[in-house]
Amino acid sequence: MRWHTVPRETLSLRTFDDELVVRNGATGSTHLLQPLAAEALKLLLEASNGMTAAELAARLGNDAEDGAAGIAAMEDLLSEFKRLGLAEPID
Amino acid sequence: MIVGDLEGEALARLLSGPGLRLRTGPVVTRITSPLDDVAHGVGLLYRDHPVDEGFADFHVRIDRPAGLRRWLKPQVQFRFDGWPPFYPLPGDQGFPILEWGMNWCVSTTCHQYLIVHAAVVERGGKALILPAPPGSGKSTLCAGLVHRGWRLLSDELTLLDPGSGQVMPVPRPVSLKNASIEVIGRFAPQSVLSPTVHDTLKGSVAHMKPPVESVHRALEGAAPRWLVLPRYRAGAQARLEPLPKGRAFMHLVESAFNYHLHGRGGFEVIGCAIEACDCFEFAYGDLEEAATVFAELADRP
Amino acid sequence: MTPLVQALRDPADTPSWTRSRWELLVRQARSADLLSRLAALLEDLGALEKVPAEPRAHLLAARTVWRAQEEAVHREVGQIRKALAPSGVEIVLLKGAAYLYAGLPAARGRVFSDIDILVPRAVLAQVEAALMLHGWATTHHDPYDQRYYREWMHELPPMQHVTRQTVLDVHHAIVPLTARLKPDSAKLLAGARPLPEHPGVKVLAPADMVLHSAAHLFLNEELSHGLRDLVDLDSLLRHFGGEPGFWTALIARATEMDLEQPLRYALRYSNRILGTPVPGDALSGSVSRLMDALFLRALQPDHPTASDGLTPMARWLLYVRAHWMRLPPGRLAYHLTVKALRKEREEPAAAGR
Repeated sequence: MRWHTVPRETLSLRTFDDELVVRNGATGSTHLLQPLAAEALKLLLEASNGMTAAELAARLGNDAEDGAAGIAAMEDLLSEFKRLGLAEPID
Repeated sequence: MIVGDLEGEALARLLSGPGLRLRTGPVVTRITSPLDDVAHGVGLLYRDHPVDEGFADFHVRIDRPAGLRRWLKPQVQFRFDGWPPFYPLPGDQGFPILEWGMNWCVSTTCHQYLIVHAAVVERGGKALILPAPPGSGKSTLCAGLVHRGWRLLSDELTLLDPGSGQVMPVPRPVSLKNASIEVIGRFAPQSVLSPTVHDTLKGSVAHMKPPVESVHRALEGAAPRWLVLPRYRAGAQARLEPLPKGRAFMHLVESAFNYHLHGRGGFEVIGCAIEACDCFEFAYGDLEEAATVFAELADRP
Repeated sequence: MTPLVQALRDPADTPSWTRSRWELLVRQARSADLLSRLAALLEDLGALEKVPAEPRAHLLAARTVWRAQEEAVHREVGQIRKALAPSGVEIVLLKGAAYLYAGLPAARGRVFSDIDILVPRAVLAQVEAALMLHGWATTHHDPYDQRYYREWMHELPPMQHVTRQTVLDVHHAIVPLTARLKPDSAKLLAGARPLPEHPGVKVLAPADMVLHSAAHLFLNEELSHGLRDLVDLDSLLRHFGGEPGFWTALIARATEMDLEQPLRYALRYSNRILGTPVPGDALSGSVSRLMDALFLRALQPDHPTASDGLTPMARWLLYVRAHWMRLPPGRLAYHLTVKALRKEREEPAAAGR
């Protein structure tokens, strides 16, 4: 499953060190993303064709040993993004 | 003309009749009240404040609610343009209810500003913002700092102007609770305190008159420079701990009364403020020590 | 004529008013929930900057609130669509949300609280279930209130979303089932217009929008916001009034929908109080002097500076009348008694601070 963020215009972003605050105009909610989630969101924002959980895991430094666990963690993260209305599967 | 220029019974007559138009920074409140302790409190704590003749932003009244209780167990009520937003309080809480009411007026209507529930003081043109939940000691710290070289902007309402990014003052009496009343009395013996009112919802309450300079400079804003989350703990040594800006940002969002009304503009205003500020958490147990730490902070480049 | 009514009739004049008059205007407008409307009218005229600085601050603050509310309405309607899309139920928006989505001048500066939608009575249970699945919960848990809404009125008890705290009123008719007047909801739904930019969302046809507004105002128990509701009506009438054939269609539709009386009052008082241009023959039909006295007073701003001794009585009499129009006499007595008793029992909510 490929994922992409909601349209860039709906989001307001600011980076402080390695954390990210984001306001989602579609929900009106504001969130603080920890470094890993922040990095993941930024990668998704740049990916014009979206990304899979596996691609995301690889870009974030997942290696063969962590393999499945890393991908599962990314799937959880993407589900969380979906719950917050920041990202969704491309249909 | 200032409130202190009203001689003898003039203030009480004004309050009982056409009303006193009191300026506090950007807002003018027309106050009417037949109650003695309101007149006394206003005369004492707003002595240096300007009496305005022009447009009043709010019409408020403190009186006794109608009904049998008038005689059995007196109460006081705050009315905003004839309508009471809160339930009545015991009869001796006339001045506190005026103060809480005036806070309510600003926080519920002045949405041209982003309003944060925080104390804010100024030094050298730069603002120190102190957001904190009740019990953190922010009001005591604020009351202390304004007697150690800092100018009071507000003890409750930090008004951020979206256009300029500056904090606008609303200099008004600082509310003190319980032990703080005595602490400030000793820390700043020259300060003017209202009589203490007991058994309020917040315990024992007194109000401290704002230093005259803060009233004279009430139209002068300040640029945000420090954001500090204070936490009072008896015996703690005064210490500033750097606070990650992401967390500081969220604290401001959560402490703002009207963030949800400012949309993406609110996000930007807070973002700019955090960008400009050094952010800390602050533990302290002694007010003098705390004041020293902040003086040093202000002296850093 | 109070400053507020004068300002609504001729906003262009207000920038030249004295500060003293502005002070009164801001108080009355705030009290009537029309401060943001005033700001919008002045903004549309390009005159906001000409207002003296002190009152202008209040208008700008009100504008901030209204813009935030508009965004919130868009978000809410989006969520409602998502919730109801799988069931295929088409949403007909009512009142403020409808004006907003249809791009009508009536939406400008309008204060929004709840969202109101109209659905066929047959799918009511299905709609309620779908909404609950998406986080809306019923309110007014008192069994009496539940019956009041479901059996006697024309809507589900208001539904509140558990996380967003927003309120949604789901109607299946625009007047209560038990009312003496019997407009046909199926006709309303059949006449509803789709919105090209917003698939799945519809609004009532223009004449029906006006009739709903009139019915809401003149059959509603809460007249304390009568002037605000009249402002809606005035705006709708001015906007649609220029369309050829509108007035004929409006009057015919009123007859068809059994809403002649509310329309008669609507046109009369909108014209009298806000100066709405209404064709002469549309104003025909007599209204008793008593009704005139009651309505003209009750529709004034609900503010100490705009009342005279009669006003609380006027409002109460109209309250009784509104209920009389909605409930048969036996039920009316029962309802008023229960409502009166409950008021004594109600626990004070937490003091706002």
